[in-house]
Amino acid sequence: MGKGFSLLAAPILVISLLTACSGNNNGGGSASDDNESGNVSTPAPAKTDDPASTNTTANTPALPDKTFSFLDISHPSWPYDQNWLVWKLLKEKTGVSFKVEVPSGLMADALSFAIASGDLPDVMYTEDKSLADKYGQMGALANILDYTDIMPNFKQWMETYPNDTRNAIAADGKMYEFPNQGIGETNRMIWMYREDVFKKLNLSPPQNWDELYTVLQALKKAYPDSYPLSWRDGLAYLLNFGASFNTSRDFYYDFDTQTWKYAPLDDNYKTMIQYLNKFYKEGLIPPDFLSIDTKQWQDLMSTDKAFITLDYIGRIDFYNTPLRQDNPDYNLLFMPPPEGVPGSQKNAFTQFDQAGMMVASSSKNVKDIMKYFDFLYSEEGKNMLSWGEEGKTYTVKDGKNVFNPDYTTVADLRKKTGLSTDGVYTWFDYDAHLSLSSKELASAYEEARKYDSVQQPMPSLTQAELDDTSVEMTSIQKFRDENVSKFILGTRSFGEWDKYAEDLKALGVDHVASIYKQAYERAMQAAQ
Amino acid sequence: MMPEGRSNRLMRKLNKDKYLLLMQLPCLIYYLVFRYAPMFGLVISFKNYNLFKGVWASPWVGLKYYRTFLNSPDFFELLSNTVLLGVTKLAFAFPAPIILALLLNEVTATFLKRFVQTVSYLPHFISNVVVASMVLTFLSPSTGVVNHYLKVLGFHPVNFMSEPGWFRPVYVLSEIWQHVGWETIIYLAALTAIDPQLYEAARIDGANRWRQTLNITLPCMAPTIIILFIFNVGDVLDIGFEKVFLLASPAIYSTADIISTYVYRVGLSQGNYSYAASIDLFTAIISLIFVFTANFLARKFSEHSIW
Repeated sequence: MGKGFSLLAAPILVISLLTACSGNNNGGGSASDDNESGNVSTPAPAKTDDPASTNTTANTPALPDKTFSFLDISHPSWPYDQNWLVWKLLKEKTGVSFKVEVPSGLMADALSFAIASGDLPDVMYTEDKSLADKYGQMGALANILDYTDIMPNFKQWMETYPNDTRNAIAADGKMYEFPNQGIGETNRMIWMYREDVFKKLNLSPPQNWDELYTVLQALKKAYPDSYPLSWRDGLAYLLNFGASFNTSRDFYYDFDTQTWKYAPLDDNYKTMIQYLNKFYKEGLIPPDFLSIDTKQWQDLMSTDKAFITLDYIGRIDFYNTPLRQDNPDYNLLFMPPPEGVPGSQKNAFTQFDQAGMMVASSSKNVKDIMKYFDFLYSEEGKNMLSWGEEGKTYTVKDGKNVFNPDYTTVADLRKKTGLSTDGVYTWFDYDAHLSLSSKELASAYEEARKYDSVQQPMPSLTQAELDDTSVEMTSIQKFRDENVSKFILGTRSFGEWDKYAEDLKALGVDHVASIYKQAYERAMQAAQ
Repeated sequence: MMPEGRSNRLMRKLNKDKYLLLMQLPCLIYYLVFRYAPMFGLVISFKNYNLFKGVWASPWVGLKYYRTFLNSPDFFELLSNTVLLGVTKLAFAFPAPIILALLLNEVTATFLKRFVQTVSYLPHFISNVVVASMVLTFLSPSTGVVNHYLKVLGFHPVNFMSEPGWFRPVYVLSEIWQHVGWETIIYLAALTAIDPQLYEAARIDGANRWRQTLNITLPCMAPTIIILFIFNVGDVLDIGFEKVFLLASPAIYSTADIISTYVYRVGLSQGNYSYAASIDLFTAIISLIFVFTANFLARKFSEHSIW
């Protein structure tokens, strides 16, 4: 019945999946390309028997022909296509082609199946860094740091981006996932408001939460059946609200006092919850805000039932472009985050991406794979994987890259070329995406940078620490979510806040915080 | 001499039924491979399981994870939520298909009967994800139909999915809506097996329809009802994870957080496989006790039982 029970069945499943997949993939793809590399490599007749041999090509400029197996994800909006331009470009530059397997279900499940079966693909993609750390520390993944002497570009990259490097390191001081930089900008989350409605009602964007309250009231008065402030996914957005209250959502590092804290115990956190309670009571936020999903939120946003929201920055174009067809005035714009507590007017730092590629320690090609990835950390690799091929996908005008007009949006570009799809980015030039965005979105990117908060460190816990804290963490989170919801809904009175804080602490907050502290100090030391 | 004679007889029997046995084989293999073999995976609940090292190389930790669960501050709430939800479901969702079957049995117009049957069993084929989002959409206080009509009728709108007290009724009603038609099928089958002569005899004796139902239909259905009941008792702790997970929100954890949603959070989200497996085995054992008890009672008070 349960998850544990089915683990033994996993290898059988995986084997059948893999054999099924490899049938329709381009297993023979590399053979057809042999001619190209054959032209440049030494024409000795003995070599033709063995085109896959890689050791003898050291002193020729030729690119050895290599194929790695790759467990990659396929995004529903731009499903994996073996004929994408990006694979061709990579092949031309590095000689590497991939035999890609795409899991039919969740990536995390596919990974654990692959690991449990022991038959790992050379390269694997993960959406979640903690998985890389977990499998890496079990011994399944190669430690990237062991190979930096054959990766000059990557070495230099690490010096340029010490923060991203540090966050990619696991609890044992090793690195199991290639860090990425640049593409995380897509994950930037901001406040947005309906400029056209504000103008009509003669309102201006609120500067702080008291003004936010009056603005919301005015909106509610003009549109009685609206919920002027709406968002999706319930309590998750306390992270974004919290930034302006100088607090967070979970355990966080307080740079001012240099300590690890638990946000839901902060006084400022309480202030924030009190505002939300007030909003809830007056119908300024949806009564079912805890369970509103993406679809419901989109309905509210597109039917004049919500006018202020928080979400990914790309939502500006997501709403404006289609909705202007019916309502030419529709104008969703960047809104500066309202100040929560004096001096704090911030957006939570979300512009990072934990996803990345991992290399199996059991692979016979670890060194070659590392060399391949080193190319991705070169300026040339960055440019190629951000913009594609000059003349074909982009041209240079006035020293600036411009995409050819065949690509209308980022999604369109991804679908047609495979550029910036999962598995083919590490170091990314975000100007490539910016060049395809509307002027509203481009200006939002510019404005948003003014309200950046400092990126939180993400210390990695060892398996023992995880074991030690996971049960406590579950209880703490449950207690917090349940009670914070009650405070907002008004089913628990703020008079009981102290009792709540006490009970929360009793569940082991200090213990978990001390584990984070320990892990953080270890990471700081490892990075020195 | 005796053992040899017995084995000869067995061989003869096997030989006689060999084709029947052969037909059974796929079923047997299915159970061995997909039901029994995975049970060996339970050893991870006694080990500090390391996915890469595999089951056997991981170190033993004894009952550590069982103790952790029993000592966890959530344990009591989880157990009582699970039992209460399971029992509520059993109390209301179990009789529903029986009642529907009895009602359908009284319907003489074939067309109407077919129509009701089709309409009532179709929801069974809708996935839980869709059902949960339908429930959330219908009951939404901001956009939902239900609250719209409540307002029209002059009632206060109810925030169904944020009030702990509403979770169980909503869950059980949606379960009934989803499965009642499907589960009716088996009772209707049991009804067709009843000898029509019994009814004739009863009619001659002057029994009205109610009497006939009470004295013929129900006793004839009893074996089916009792056996299905025992099966259902086994599932009290094993409530479908999916729908509860999709319907629950933090505000209603106090009634909606059950063992399986907890296992999901701690086991899968936090990667604590051994802990999750130990909770699974724990609930399986309690379920087994439930089934044994129900079977024991059934055997004691009626002549029908599984064994």
